[in-house]
Amino acid sequence: MTAILTEGLTKKFGNLCAVDSLDLSIEKEIFGLLGPNGSGKTTTVLMLTTLLAQTKGSASICGHDTLLAPEKVRDCISYVPQDMAVDTNLTGRENMLVFARLYGISDPKDKVDELLAVMELSDRADDLAKTYSGGMRRRLELAEALVHEPEVVFLDEPTIGLDVAARRSIWNHIRKMTKKGMTIFMTTHYMDEADQYCDRVGIISHGKVAAMGTPQELKSRLMKDVVTVTLEGEYHPVMLEGAVFVGESEGTVSFTAGNGREALPLLADALKQAGNCVKAMSLREPSLDDVFLQSVGKQEEPKGFEEWKFRMMLHRRN
Amino acid sequence: MKGVATYMYRDFIRWIRYRVGVISALVLPAAWLLFVGLALPVTFTGNYLDFITPGILVMTILTAGISSGSLLMFDKILGFLNKFLAMPVPRESILVSKILFISVRGLIQATIIIVLAVLIGATMMNPLQYGLVYLILFLFGVFISAFSTTVALYLDDHDSFAAFTAMVTMPLFFTSSALMPYDAMPGWLATIARVNPLSFAIDAIRDVGAGGVPVVPILLLFVFTAVVVVMAGYVFRKVTV
Ligand SMILES: Nc1ncnc2c1ncn2[C@@H]1O[C@H](COP(=O)(O)OP(=O)(O)OP(=O)(O)O)[C@@H](O)[C@H]1O
Ligand SMILES: [Mg+2]
Repeated sequence: MTAILTEGLTKKFGNLCAVDSLDLSIEKEIFGLLGPNGSGKTTTVLMLTTLLAQTKGSASICGHDTLLAPEKVRDCISYVPQDMAVDTNLTGRENMLVFARLYGISDPKDKVDELLAVMELSDRADDLAKTYSGGMRRRLELAEALVHEPEVVFLDEPTIGLDVAARRSIWNHIRKMTKKGMTIFMTTHYMDEADQYCDRVGIISHGKVAAMGTPQELKSRLMKDVVTVTLEGEYHPVMLEGAVFVGESEGTVSFTAGNGREALPLLADALKQAGNCVKAMSLREPSLDDVFLQSVGKQEEPKGFEEWKFRMMLHRRN
Repeated sequence: MKGVATYMYRDFIRWIRYRVGVISALVLPAAWLLFVGLALPVTFTGNYLDFITPGILVMTILTAGISSGSLLMFDKILGFLNKFLAMPVPRESILVSKILFISVRGLIQATIIIVLAVLIGATMMNPLQYGLVYLILFLFGVFISAFSTTVALYLDDHDSFAAFTAMVTMPLFFTSSALMPYDAMPGWLATIARVNPLSFAIDAIRDVGAGGVPVVPILLLFVFTAVVVVMAGYVFRKVTV
C-alpha cells in the first residue's frame, strides 16, 4: 500500500492557490519537498496530517483517506511542525512521557528510556527542556514522534536554524528511521542536505510541482558542466549554441554546457558582446541548487503573500 | 475520555513549575479575603465574613476561569495544538482537559479561602454543606472556563483576549451581590445584580450557608454550564477542521 498518495490535491486561501493540483506517490523512502518561502510546503504537510482540509482533490496515508478516515491516518503518522514546540518547563523525559501516554503505549517508561537513548539524550533526560540547545530540542521532538512507531513521519524543516554538526546528527537519526521501514516526508530549504540524504525530491514553486525525481536524475537533466558567471551590474541575455541558461541569483548567472571547458571562452565573448561586465567565471559539476534555480526561477515570494499579510494587519487594527 | 488525564497532567506540571503563577494564585484570594473581609468596616449583617466569603470564592473562580482561554490559545500559537491534533487521541479531550484543569485549579484556590475564612472567624459548615458549595463552585468554574475558551478560540489573538478578560472581570464582580446584600444596593444596581451570573452562584452558596439546599439554582447552573460547554465544543470543532 502506498504510504502517501495524493491526487489533484489543491488548497486555496481566498484567491491565493497555495497548493495547486499536487500528485504524489511516496513509498518507504525519504522524500524531500523543496521550494522557496511561501511555495506551499507547510500547507501540503498540514493537509496530509489531517490538520487542514483541502479545497479539491484527495490524499491518503497508508490507504486511509485524510478526510474520510482521519483517525486512522493519525494512527499511522507523526508530525513535527516547523516551529519547535517543546514544553520548556518540563524535563525531556516528562515531555516524552506525555506523548507516550497520549499514544497509549503499554510500557511508557521503557519506551521513553529506549528512545531517549537512541536520540542520545539519556544523560540530559532529567534536565528541564529550556536548558537544551536547539539541536537537542529537535532530537527530543524526533523522539516524541517515534514513540508509537509510526509508518509515516512528517518533518517540516527539521534542520532549520541548526549548526552543521546538529544537522548531520539529525540526518543520521532520520536515516536510521527509514532503515526500519518508515516513510519520511520532509520539507527543507537546504539543497545540499536534500541532495545528500533524500531518496527523492520534489521541487514546488507557487504550489505546483516544478520537478520531481531522485537528486541524481534531476541533476543529470542538466548538462554535464555548470558555468557560473559573476557579473557587475545587470544581466543582458545571451544566446549561445552549446550552453543553456539556468538562472540568475544574487548577481551570478549560470549556464549548463555539455563541455564546459570549450564553452567557457565562447561564453565570455558572447557575454561581453551583449554588454555584460564579467567579473569572474567558474566551472563546476551541477548541484541540486542549479536544478532548483532552473525550475523555480528567481526566488521571490508569491504576490498573494503580501496581500494576505496586509489584510491580517488591517484585521488586527479594527 | 482517553488523553484527558495526560493533558491535565501536562498543564498541572507546567503550572507548578511556574512559581510566580502558583504563588499569585494562592496569595491573591487570601489577600482579598483579609482586606475585604476584615478591613472593611461594614455592618450589613452579624458576621460580614460569612457574608463576604461566598463572594470571594466565586470571584476567585471567576478570575481563575476567565483567563483559562489563554491556555488553549498559547498551545495554538506555539504549535502544540497542531501536534496534539495530529495524534490519534480524541480531539475533544484537549478542550475537556483544559476546562477540567482550570476548574480543579479553581477548587484548590477555593479550599485555601475556605480554610482561611474559618481560621479568622467564619462559621464552620457541615460536610454536606461543603459538598454542595464545591458542587456549585465546580459548575460555575466549568461554566466560566468553557465560556472563556470559546471566546479565546473565537478571538484568536492574545491582546484582544486580554482586553476582553479585563473588561469582563471587574464590572461583573462589582455589579454582583458579592459585596453587599440587594437591599443595601441602590435600585439600579440591584436590578443588574439580580441578572448577573455571578450573583447567581454567590446567592446559591449563601443559601447553602444558611442551611438551605438550592436545588433550582443548581439545576439551572447545570443547564447553563451544559449549554456553554456544547458551544465551546462546537467552536473548537470549527477551528480545528
Ligand atoms: N491560513 C492562511 N491564510 C491565508 N493564506 C495562507 C495561510 N497559510 C498559508 N497561506 C499562504 O499560502 C502560501 C503557502 O504557505 P506555506 O506556509 O505553505 O509556505 P511554505 O512553503 O511552508 O513557506 P516557508 O518555507 O516560508 O515555510 C503562502 O503564500 C502563505 O501566505
Ligand atoms: Mg513552511
